[in-house]
Amino acid sequence: MNILLLGFTLLGGVMLSAQSSINGAFSQKAGALESTFLTFFTGMLILALAILFFGQGNVLLLLEAPRWQLSAVLFGVSYLFLTILAVPQIGVTAASIATVIGQLAAGMVIDHIGAFGGVVVPLNGKRLLGLLTMLAALYFVYRGNTRKDVSASSDSMAS
Amino acid sequence: MKIVYYVLALLAGIALSVEGAIYGELGNFVGKLESSFYNFFAGTIIIGLIVLFFGKGSLGYTFRAPKWTLLGGLLGSIYLTILIISIPLVGVGLAMISVIIGQMIASMVIEHYGWLGSPKRPINRDKLTASALMLVALFLIF
Repeated sequence: MNILLLGFTLLGGVMLSAQSSINGAFSQKAGALESTFLTFFTGMLILALAILFFGQGNVLLLLEAPRWQLSAVLFGVSYLFLTILAVPQIGVTAASIATVIGQLAAGMVIDHIGAFGGVVVPLNGKRLLGLLTMLAALYFVYRGNTRKDVSASSDSMAS
Repeated sequence: MKIVYYVLALLAGIALSVEGAIYGELGNFVGKLESSFYNFFAGTIIIGLIVLFFGKGSLGYTFRAPKWTLLGGLLGSIYLTILIISIPLVGVGLAMISVIIGQMIASMVIEHYGWLGSPKRPINRDKLTASALMLVALFLIF
């Protein structure tokens, strides 16, 4: 039962990768900003419907929410835009792994200082070791990608 | 100079973490779906203005593009829904790990076969090493 649930959650990650790939392809023809806009626009329409049918909160409370919390949208836009810029250049795999690393590293810092009102989880040796391991992973992704680029560019020079 | 794009992707991840942390708080106040809606609503306005003034691409291409390339927003919404359903059941940590593993497997398969508009980039030993290291890192962090 639990395994089923984890498999279900894993599908969430599959959706993200599929989204990156599709948006990367779309942005090549329509432009990165335009692709970001389309994703936000269609996402807004879908969520508006979702709220109409399943919303349990209160959208109007947004008007009373602390202003600094509303600034999160700037990070939301940056995330999508940067991903759309990176994917066509380095591919979905490298972009996903680099994004995950940035996310986890920032998450650890946010946990450590308890920023934005969350729970404080101090950095420890294990987490630092995890960070270093991720940097090593990033190096291998980079090497795996550039190796192919090198052979591709030498091929084109040969021809 | 592809290294710049790796840095951009890292920054994207940092933005995602900050976004998640803040929306966690906002979601407690207005509701989870509602805070996601806010993200897409305000984001549409902001990026809409930016496209209006600085867009060099072609938004009109949207209407000529193959329909499946328009599904990015839908997939993002499905992702959010899955998280909203599963986090209360399995916890944030396990949910994060599952999502990340799903992301790594899917992205390597997509690229290996060149699906969904990605250029073909076969899986190689370096990428497998990187995934193994990521698994170790996840184990250490959570």
